[in-house]
Amino acid sequence: MNHCTGHLPAPSRREALTRFGGGLGGIALASLLGKAEAAGGSPPAYFTGQPKAKRVIFLFQSGGPSQMDLFDYKPRLNAEQGRELPEEIRMGQRLTGMSGNQSSLPLVGSPFQFAQHGESGQWFSELLPHTAKIADEITVVKSMYTEAINHGPGVTFMQTGAQIGGRPSIGSWLSYGLGSMNENLPNFVVLVTKDKKGQPLVSRLWGSGFLPGEHDGVRFNPDKDAVLYLNNPAGLDTASRRRMLDRLGELHRIQLAKSGDTALETRIAQYEMGFRMQASIPEATDFSGEPEATFKLYGEDARTPGTFAANCLMARRLAERGVQFIQLYHQGWDHHGGLPGGLKTQCRETDQASAALVTDLKQRGLLEDTLVIWGGEFGRTNYCQGKFNPANFGRDHHPRCFSMWMAGGGIKAGHSHGLTDDYCYNIVEDGVHVHDFHATLLHLLGIDHERLTFQYQGRHFRLTDVHGHLVKEILA
Amino acid sequence: MKRLFPLVALLLAASPASAQKLEFNRDIRPILSDKCFACHGPDAKNAKSDYRLDTFEHAVAEIDGVAGIVPGKLKESELHWRIHSDDSSEVMPPPESKRNLTPAEIALLDRWIEEGAEFQDHWAFVPIPKTVPVPEVAPGWVKNEIDTFVLAKLEKKGFAPSPETTREKWLRRVTFDLTGLPPTLAEIDAFLADPSPGAYEKVVDRLLASEASAERLTAEWLDVARYSDSYGFQVDGDRFVWPWRDWVIRAFKENLPYDQFITWQLAGDLLPNATRDQKLATAFNRLHPQNVEGGSVPEEFRLEYISDRVHTYGTAFLGLTMECTRCHDHKYDPLTMRDYYGLSAFFANIDEAGLYSFFTPSVPTPTLWLPDEKQESEHARLTREIAELEGALAKRAVEAKADYETWLSARKEPATLPKALADHDFERLEDGTFPNLADPNKPAKTSPNNAQADGRRGKALKLTGDDAVTLGVGNFSRDDSFSVSLWMQTPDRKARAVVFSRSKAWTDAASRGYELLLEEGRLVAALVHYEPGNALRVRTKEEFPVGSWHHVAMTYDGSSRASGLRLFVDGEPAGLEVVRDRLTRGITGGGSDTIVIGERMRDSGFKHGLVDDFRVYDLTLSPAAVKTLASDGKTFVPDPAEFLARHDAASLDLQAKLAAKRKERSALVEKIPEIMVMEEFDGEPRKTHVLERGSYLSPGEEVAPATPAFLPAMPADAPVNRLGLARWTVSPDNPLTARVAVNRYWERLFLHGLVATAEDFGSQGRPPTHPDLLDWLARDFMDHGWDLRRLLKQIVLSATYRQSSNVASGELATIDPENTLLYRYPAPRLTAEMLRDNVLAVSGLLVPKVGGPSVKPYDIALSFKPSTPDKGEGLYRRSVYTYMRQTAPSPLMTTLNASKRDVCQVKIERTDSPLQGLVMLNSPQFAEAARVLGTKLAETHAADDAALVEEAFCRLTSRLPDEEERSLLVGLLAEQQAHYQEKPAEAEALLSNGGSAPSKSAHPARAAAAATLVSTLLNFDECISKR
Repeated sequence: MNHCTGHLPAPSRREALTRFGGGLGGIALASLLGKAEAAGGSPPAYFTGQPKAKRVIFLFQSGGPSQMDLFDYKPRLNAEQGRELPEEIRMGQRLTGMSGNQSSLPLVGSPFQFAQHGESGQWFSELLPHTAKIADEITVVKSMYTEAINHGPGVTFMQTGAQIGGRPSIGSWLSYGLGSMNENLPNFVVLVTKDKKGQPLVSRLWGSGFLPGEHDGVRFNPDKDAVLYLNNPAGLDTASRRRMLDRLGELHRIQLAKSGDTALETRIAQYEMGFRMQASIPEATDFSGEPEATFKLYGEDARTPGTFAANCLMARRLAERGVQFIQLYHQGWDHHGGLPGGLKTQCRETDQASAALVTDLKQRGLLEDTLVIWGGEFGRTNYCQGKFNPANFGRDHHPRCFSMWMAGGGIKAGHSHGLTDDYCYNIVEDGVHVHDFHATLLHLLGIDHERLTFQYQGRHFRLTDVHGHLVKEILA
Repeated sequence: MKRLFPLVALLLAASPASAQKLEFNRDIRPILSDKCFACHGPDAKNAKSDYRLDTFEHAVAEIDGVAGIVPGKLKESELHWRIHSDDSSEVMPPPESKRNLTPAEIALLDRWIEEGAEFQDHWAFVPIPKTVPVPEVAPGWVKNEIDTFVLAKLEKKGFAPSPETTREKWLRRVTFDLTGLPPTLAEIDAFLADPSPGAYEKVVDRLLASEASAERLTAEWLDVARYSDSYGFQVDGDRFVWPWRDWVIRAFKENLPYDQFITWQLAGDLLPNATRDQKLATAFNRLHPQNVEGGSVPEEFRLEYISDRVHTYGTAFLGLTMECTRCHDHKYDPLTMRDYYGLSAFFANIDEAGLYSFFTPSVPTPTLWLPDEKQESEHARLTREIAELEGALAKRAVEAKADYETWLSARKEPATLPKALADHDFERLEDGTFPNLADPNKPAKTSPNNAQADGRRGKALKLTGDDAVTLGVGNFSRDDSFSVSLWMQTPDRKARAVVFSRSKAWTDAASRGYELLLEEGRLVAALVHYEPGNALRVRTKEEFPVGSWHHVAMTYDGSSRASGLRLFVDGEPAGLEVVRDRLTRGITGGGSDTIVIGERMRDSGFKHGLVDDFRVYDLTLSPAAVKTLASDGKTFVPDPAEFLARHDAASLDLQAKLAAKRKERSALVEKIPEIMVMEEFDGEPRKTHVLERGSYLSPGEEVAPATPAFLPAMPADAPVNRLGLARWTVSPDNPLTARVAVNRYWERLFLHGLVATAEDFGSQGRPPTHPDLLDWLARDFMDHGWDLRRLLKQIVLSATYRQSSNVASGELATIDPENTLLYRYPAPRLTAEMLRDNVLAVSGLLVPKVGGPSVKPYDIALSFKPSTPDKGEGLYRRSVYTYMRQTAPSPLMTTLNASKRDVCQVKIERTDSPLQGLVMLNSPQFAEAARVLGTKLAETHAADDAALVEEAFCRLTSRLPDEEERSLLVGLLAEQQAHYQEKPAEAEALLSNGGSAPSKSAHPARAAAAATLVSTLLNFDECISKR
């Protein structure tokens, strides 16, 4: 930082806090609080002071994984296979335009075997052999529900707490609320599995909405430039860049002295952080030092940049380096048809690495303060979409119940939460709305979801809108 | 407990309130609004308490013998006790609201009650005074009226304005502010050399008249209008809207008065004798995101679009946060849900669909055609010739009566039915096909699920409703005559069932093609380009009988008119209602090119319907022929229509000519681009309802178009439509529009608006720092014909704008860190558009072409949904032309804080991040510009380091470096030159960055070194900020 500020007025508390509000170039909460106190203030009111998790890894499974084929065992569907969805179960609730005009809605059971695992005795389908092995580490929430029935609104709701785009994503809220724990890496990193087909994702899912742009998620690519224009242009080496930045810093210090504008201090710091990122990001994304055991754990896919497995490993490396919110996306769960084959592929791509991440974090002592989340935007219907064919069928979108799992960071180990009916259509016990999920996530990070607000267009916006209840039953 | 962001404390700090009486709007309203109104405000219906604090009458009213406020009597005021209470069940705000009052706020409320608890109407909702007195201040510093307000406030606080900045700095500021580009060296020299008193004004006039100025003003309007080149939402396909952007450029170039600028965009289509540009301007209301995701509910999204129009209208023109009132009455402002849906009703009455078409590239209706001159005259000619032929044909029909009689009496044999293209009796099903008796090569294919059933005679087809029977024929255009004849039986009264169609899908293809449906029990026939706005659609008046066999024929004559589309039931013409009569474009394409019976993608099929004797003809069946088919006859006595259609040589000749001419017109129309605009639906107006909790599933009370009730009424003579809304919006009695407009332009020039919350002029917004100046500007703006150029000129010529940007030391800086007193120029960082355009301009790479399709610079290849960048000029156009894909915008621009354009944005965001430095140092756009300029500099100054540095510095900051700056940059140049002399390959690589030809230089090491110098300066504060 700059040392020529002797003759300058101290920045006001408001200014200091605005400037150090977080995100890239922001500073850690501990430090933020220190600053606030030094400036005569108190910790932000939204901070509960009791965070259980310091960071989050969200393994988002885009498209809507089928809960009754993976987690939520429903033998009755197999027993009643081929029968019409009973009207007393459906209760006239809306369907999508894809199957809503179908003349028949025949129930279809899961073609996959289920068994109980671990001391907790949690049920998993045969498609998740690795997840089954961490049964005693995770909480499976069987009673998630949402309001959206199509992908665009559904994914947006899960990621921002609103169905229509334009609101800040979870990671942006955390960046805004907690500041950065890291001076060398972005605070909120996004990793998308490469070359997956399926329902499209959109960049505003990790956008900061109306929060300042510094809270945008930063997407890491499995390309030459992990971050947009990270590398120097051709013909410019590190020594030249260092000389340029030294001179630039000197120019800025002269300007600071002339103008008295403390915004220049930020500017100087930003260029220095950019320079550090040019070294720290390649270091963080370089797997060459990982031992063979790592690839055994995560699977051979982890050697191929851009795969889900590689992104899980990357997430662990970023978590180790203090990145606060790591958002993975894996597309391809939208099984309107060909579900039996499609699910096998999806699980082959994700099961081992997801479980490996939890195992790896645990053996490194990071799981206790890292929250890992696995799940999608909604579930799938118990009836088959299109013609009934038990060998090769599809399921439509289902918002009324779906399953997610969470681990670490203050979450109960070896626990199952919530109950759906025998048809896996409605929730009968302990429903967890998307807003509840968000409220709980924020709580685990030491944030009161009702107090973390940002005033925009006159309104105090929250991630949880005016809703959301803490799900105490899943807290360790 | 203290708040993290002590907004109120800051306001207090800026105003030594202790000395003077409190002012409700400045001191009290922000507290009440933020902390109390949620439960004690205008949303009485949803409030938890009967007590209201939003007006004096409410605040002092007794409820159950208790008065919230007794003016002047603190101890008798319940409010006082409640805000001081230690009892968590009594204290206000209640703890669970998590909106605590600070001790300072509590003290203020107490003082306010003691001082008499005076209320003021909310400043933004009171009329703009007819005249605003200009304060008396000392002469000398003041250049125009603006300065008197600023100086008066500064003097009142005991401060003075900052010294005037240098001429160079003013020129740089004003050139960027008015054109988005830096001044050229020649412009700097000319201005510095002009000692005349009018020198400043001359510069401003030159800048305002330039194309660049229109582009700059357009760039920021695109943020307000949430402009993008794609539809948004999840699929986010490309859309054709840039002609609207070019209209905006034209409007600013012609300095269209701002009230007209608003009126055209809201309601240009409704102006008398509306011009093409006036209609085009209304595309503003269609630039919201639009959805195409399969399975979505169209009505949900149609209402979403209307809401977006209302939100954008509210934010852009009125500074009101309409969003809140979608689900409940406003918590802070006197806006109700009725107001929200009343405004919605203005924007609802267009013939639009809730989803756009996935399978065809058609433009969502309503649309405006944009033919070029040649297309326009060709179209007029063809339309005229078609009308002439149609006239001749009609005339021949009358004249041919005698010929018909003669012909008929001379005939020896009865007429036979015309030859069909397809004829299916469904008697035989072999390998999933039904033979076509008319053409064995084109059988019908069926899914095995459809079955044969006992028919009228022999077998018939029984449909599942989910499975198709696909014929081998039926790809008719709207210029073809064709007919379909069938027997059908429906098992029940269908709410909706597709009997047959030539159409890929329902909503997913906007029903492109033709179709026969059962809808609410009635037969519906349609030819569709884009549902609902570009289609012919007729409906029988009678319901179709249930449970019995009936013959149905659909005949069409190639006229593109509803009158040419007929339905017959049991051989008799059915009584029809015309639902739509506007088909102007093709009905083919989208896939599924032949007739499909019984099912359509994501539509309701003809479940358990029976179909028999299905025949397709490539001509218009005459009533006599239809009657024959309906009675299972083979021969019949031809009627006049049969004679004209198949036997009269003169008619046949005219028909052939007409068909050819229509096809010629259709081929031409195919090439005429069209764009989404507003156009009032001429049928039964679309109804608007209050939606409970904002949900499309819960329509409540019906509402008529209406402006918000708390604001002045619409002019008595204004029509109750968008034009009336526009006239109301720009009426001199509207307290908001002019204030909002001048404030937004003030913000563009001064970083912060006089009202810091440009998007919210309501109770929760920040009050104006200079309320009288805001009102004076607003009134002056209206009094001078809403002349935007005049407004901008006034501001940039003011002494206020000409101040130095240096931050004050001492008391002023402590009191006013945000510069709310306007004691200095605020030195904002350049916008994303300016940052990129600047490097193009200084390097000489800029291609100054105005208008046209959007272009794809380098970084589009790295966006989340990459596409191939342009080659050549598309890389070097101004950023206002950069292709904007909503879900994957230019990563370079978003990194530099460009607006995301998914919703209306009136504020320019500026936050610093290290990623910006990476972009401005490493991206090909910046690296290429640096090496191009570096090479030029090295050629000009082959030996003189100081001269090279001076020119570089001047080009990039518009001033000469001082001694210290020069020497450190000369040092950099020398170090880098030495470096590149040792590494010529690196120099060559550096001089090849970007898409243009590598820079050729006699001194490559020096050129490369100069490039790094330029690159450094492109990141220097004085290059990227307006100092």
